[in-house]
Amino acid sequence: MIRLIVGFMLGLALLTAPALASDAKLKKATGLYKLFCAHCHGLNMVNPGTSSFDLRKWPKEKKDEFYTVVKKGKRNMPAWGDVVTPEELDLLWFYVVTRAGKKPFPEAAAKSAPAPEPVTTMEPGKLTACVARNGGVMSGARHNGGTGLDYGVVEALAEALNLELEVTWFESEQEEESDPVKETYAMLAHGLCDIVPGFALYASALSGLEGQRGALPRWDDQPDHLPLGFQVDLKPVAASAPYARMEMGIVVSGPDVPAFKSLADLDGRKVGVEQGTLAGVLTLRQGTQAMVAQAQTFNPGPAFLWKMENGAFDAALVTVAAFDFHKRQNPISKLRLSDYRHPLGFNLGIALLKNNAPLAKGVDEALKAMLSSGKVRKIAEGYKMHYAEPKAPYVQTRLTLKDILTIR
Amino acid sequence: MALKQISLAALLALGVHSGALAQSLDDLKNDKNTPGDILTYGMGYDLTRHSALKQINTDTVKNLRPVWTYSLADTRGQESFPLVHDGVMYVTTHNSTVALDALTGKQIWKQVIEYPAETPRVACCGIVNRGAAIFNGKIYRTTLDAYVIALDAKTGKEVWRTNSIDFKTGYSMTVAPIIADGVLITGISGGEYGIRGYIEGYDPENGKRLWRTYTVPAPGEPGSETWKDGGDAWKRGGGPTWLTGSYDPDLNTVYWGTGNAASWNAGLRPGDNLYTSSILALEPKTGKIKWHYQTSPNDPFDHDGTNELILTELDGKKVVMQASRNGFFYVLDRTNGTLIAANKFVDNVNWANKIDMGTGRPDVTEITTKARSGEEVVYWPSAFGGKNWSPMAYNPDMKIAFANTLNIGMKYKAVEPQYRPGVFYFGAEFAWEWPKGARGSLRAIDPMTGKMKWQAESDIPRMAAVLSTAGGLVFTGTQTGEFEAFNSENGSKVWEYNTGSGIVGQPVTWEKDGKQYVTILSGSGAVYVLFSGDERLAKTPAGGSVWTFALGD
Repeated sequence: MIRLIVGFMLGLALLTAPALASDAKLKKATGLYKLFCAHCHGLNMVNPGTSSFDLRKWPKEKKDEFYTVVKKGKRNMPAWGDVVTPEELDLLWFYVVTRAGKKPFPEAAAKSAPAPEPVTTMEPGKLTACVARNGGVMSGARHNGGTGLDYGVVEALAEALNLELEVTWFESEQEEESDPVKETYAMLAHGLCDIVPGFALYASALSGLEGQRGALPRWDDQPDHLPLGFQVDLKPVAASAPYARMEMGIVVSGPDVPAFKSLADLDGRKVGVEQGTLAGVLTLRQGTQAMVAQAQTFNPGPAFLWKMENGAFDAALVTVAAFDFHKRQNPISKLRLSDYRHPLGFNLGIALLKNNAPLAKGVDEALKAMLSSGKVRKIAEGYKMHYAEPKAPYVQTRLTLKDILTIR
Repeated sequence: MALKQISLAALLALGVHSGALAQSLDDLKNDKNTPGDILTYGMGYDLTRHSALKQINTDTVKNLRPVWTYSLADTRGQESFPLVHDGVMYVTTHNSTVALDALTGKQIWKQVIEYPAETPRVACCGIVNRGAAIFNGKIYRTTLDAYVIALDAKTGKEVWRTNSIDFKTGYSMTVAPIIADGVLITGISGGEYGIRGYIEGYDPENGKRLWRTYTVPAPGEPGSETWKDGGDAWKRGGGPTWLTGSYDPDLNTVYWGTGNAASWNAGLRPGDNLYTSSILALEPKTGKIKWHYQTSPNDPFDHDGTNELILTELDGKKVVMQASRNGFFYVLDRTNGTLIAANKFVDNVNWANKIDMGTGRPDVTEITTKARSGEEVVYWPSAFGGKNWSPMAYNPDMKIAFANTLNIGMKYKAVEPQYRPGVFYFGAEFAWEWPKGARGSLRAIDPMTGKMKWQAESDIPRMAAVLSTAGGLVFTGTQTGEFEAFNSENGSKVWEYNTGSGIVGQPVTWEKDGKQYVTILSGSGAVYVLFSGDERLAKTPAGGSVWTFALGD
């Protein structure tokens, strides 16, 4: 759930996101070369080639063998196994085949990719999805399978694509500085999965991140040699068509649930503000002066609605998913979700690597079919969630301060 | 002739030779005075590498010629120190230990060492081993994957094997152990992998670890106040101990050098960072630190002060001396660690002006302060050091040290490191800065002033150890393969012989039946060949071998 809140916050963060330099490939490759190779093959890939191999002699067309030797070792070359990540290996190959950046990247080297035919999924016959094991009402790991809308959607998706579903459960960090968009990019770049559901469809989240580094979240079966928060180079990511919309609604302590028309209608109530979330910001910006003066601010997270349950305040704007999660944790809750929805919201899609066009096409078509047949709504209702269909524009450009002040 | 050799080898292998395997602690103490044997790394506990033998001298050296050669069947750099005991020579490589008939070079036994194929990942500077220790019928050595092992000196059969630590986290072992006061003492490598360094004592009989003294204290321990980052920099603080220490039996003290702090980015670990880049005086039975002297506090430059610590007497004082990677030649009172002298022994040192004789601390230049704050600098001497690992010799009669010095600088900029177990943890971007002239020179150095008496330059620097003899000679070798002898008075080259591969090993001399022998390992490789990118060495093939020389008729 925090993930969703942070998703909202990201919209704000991106207002000031700087333009990105993307031409750092050689620099990165050089850094990695020095980290992994220089102590045997020379600081700048120049060595006598006597006690260790002279990499300048590596045949440019032998890409597969290069990958194999780095991973498995050969004669004096130690096996690097999975200490070198796939994206790092790509960069090392780039470094070696361009002769430490002195030569252009040769066509032959690019063409002799290990799998020249279009990739669909990482493992043939399987669709691997990265799903948060602590995603609140959206997703959660269970002894056998999972729960939540995101999990249900990828399960149905795998079925529609006639693939076996494999889930990589990851831990969505409960920290404000963690960035779910970058985590998604990192997981895809690191090859942890083919798809990541629950991706907030902001244009700003779909470009400009490649070339940056991002930390991986913690995941099940994470190998010991990768430390927490390990940073990987991000690769371009694309998103599918949307399958749901995240919205904010007014929650009140029951039993009466008025028909609110705007946040200003909360005037006269004891209003709670969830700190650092978009809902909280909107409450403070769009409420009446008297109401804002009386409002009390609380830390974000599941505890927020429990405070309300215990009478700390009696009305608040929160994400609908947060309310659904609270309701699931506390079925006898006296809190009620009104019908009012704030006009600000965003759509959820499925993230995948941009270079995997065939998979993107398959996912898109399957999702659209699931959406029009009402399958997605059914999944949501199966998990006792309020479901909202995606709204145009499917991909929001960006959230501006003006939006926050005026869209109400 | 051949028959006779084989039968001798067979006799040795069977251990029939009377008293062949009784090396007592007294034998080890007396090693210096028994030129028939070489029982301790460095030719004596004092590591002087100086021999009283003088059959081979400035007059006779012209008749020096090979007696035998033995192939080590290995393409890594050969840095091993040969031991000789009762006619048997013991030599190590990274993946084998061999016992040879010292007079013929015939193999008595060879014990292959298996280590996981990924181990070389964590060896920063060459896949090498620096030699063995011998005691009470056993040969002791360390392995690249951080095991300490004991072999039966007669058969090579493994007697025990103790794991020091998991190599996958960046630790490795190349050090030659020593036996001091009945304890087997070892060090550890990995200063570039974010390790926490230590020195260990083992029971030579059964391999039980007796103690481990960390060179970086944990919070609350003495010295921890010099790690002011307030975080966990100490956990990956470096301080490796990869070169063998010396031992003074009278003071019952072991002297051991510790390496650079990690990462190189000194700004991230404010404080002096004890006991990195330090000289430690230890009690051999317990590993307790008696005193310490730090050569490079808060070191940003990989001035990895593990260099050998030579023991001698100067002006009636018992001293310990070190030509440090950082370019200064230190002389200390070894009873208490008081600084007696510290002078530059190479021409280009720009990180410090001098060592303050009052405080014992370096008077650092702007280069060092800039480097610590993340500015790009060019500093001298480089991470290779004013002298690298290659041990110097000390002639106590001349009161002169002979060292292979380096003249290499480094372009350097500290950056934020990312810690990954078993992967380089430099915290700096760097490139070599080559001098206009020679990159190295063999120098005769006055320990008290650092001034040179003479030098023999070499464009491709020498990375071998030095041997001094009472015959007025200094032996060393070049990376292009020449085994060389110099006149120790004036530095003129009096003899050389091409061994077929580069020399980065440790020359020794010994005698048998009235004949003096000199032994050196040949085998190009290790840090300079691998790391420097010196293409001139492409014409010097790899390939390890042991060479033994004596005077011809």
